Amino acid sequence: MAEERGSRHSSGPKGRGGSRGAEKGGPRRSMFRRRKVCKFCTDKIDFIDYKDVKMLQPFIPERAKIIPRRISGVCAMHQRTLQTAIKRARLLALLPYVTD
Amino acid sequence: MSQKRLYELIYIVSPDATEQAVAELHTQVDAIVTRLHGEMVRTENWGRRRLAYRIGKHREGTYVLEVFNGSGELTKELDRRLKVTDSVIRHLLVRVDEDLKVAERDRARRQVEIDKRVAKGLPPLGQGRRRNHDDAGDDDDNDRAEV
Repeated sequence: MAEERGSRHSSGPKGRGGSRGAEKGGPRRSMFRRRKVCKFCTDKIDFIDYKDVKMLQPFIPERAKIIPRRISGVCAMHQRTLQTAIKRARLLALLPYVTD
Repeated sequence: MSQKRLYELIYIVSPDATEQAVAELHTQVDAIVTRLHGEMVRTENWGRRRLAYRIGKHREGTYVLEVFNGSGELTKELDRRLKVTDSVIRHLLVRVDEDLKVAERDRARRQVEIDKRVAKGLPPLGQGRRRNHDDAGDDDDNDRAEV
């Protein structure tokens, strides 16, 4: 426990110092963080079609897993409809279940 | 009593099947739909497509989309028939009228919103969302200025 704390202390100031040298706004979260907005809300897509492979593809990156909405920024309602759309497309072999 | 509902049916025909066989399958589906008091809305043949993964030993298949009105009994019959048809390697039958209704409602609601804005003399688009993006950018600049 004590060891841990000690190590943290030693690394803390160093890290802060480094960022101060580069730019003072660094540690603050306002750097490059874009506010994520739901693609379907902004583009005003009411109906997520399972046949539209081009629209679904960005949501299943290389391993073909559905990306969580904390990363994609899709709102809860659209994530739910997107989920069913992707699953339907997978059944029809329009999208893969897994890729390796 | 049979309700009219809109359904979408997609089936994948095995790549070995000839074009004639695909056409025959379509007429069979058509016959079932009309026999059970449904009506065809539209048909699309997507042609031969590569499958995203292997189904059985197939790597590609011919996709056919059929949209029709009908009752629940009709879908039961179609489902059963497609299951026993050997040349159909996969099929999906979904009801779409509810989803389309919801989509239509949302579109109507948005139109009302636009009309209201126009009546007020505001530009039809340009909700708060886009503004927020710009604000965030400004904030970043302010932070830097403080430093």
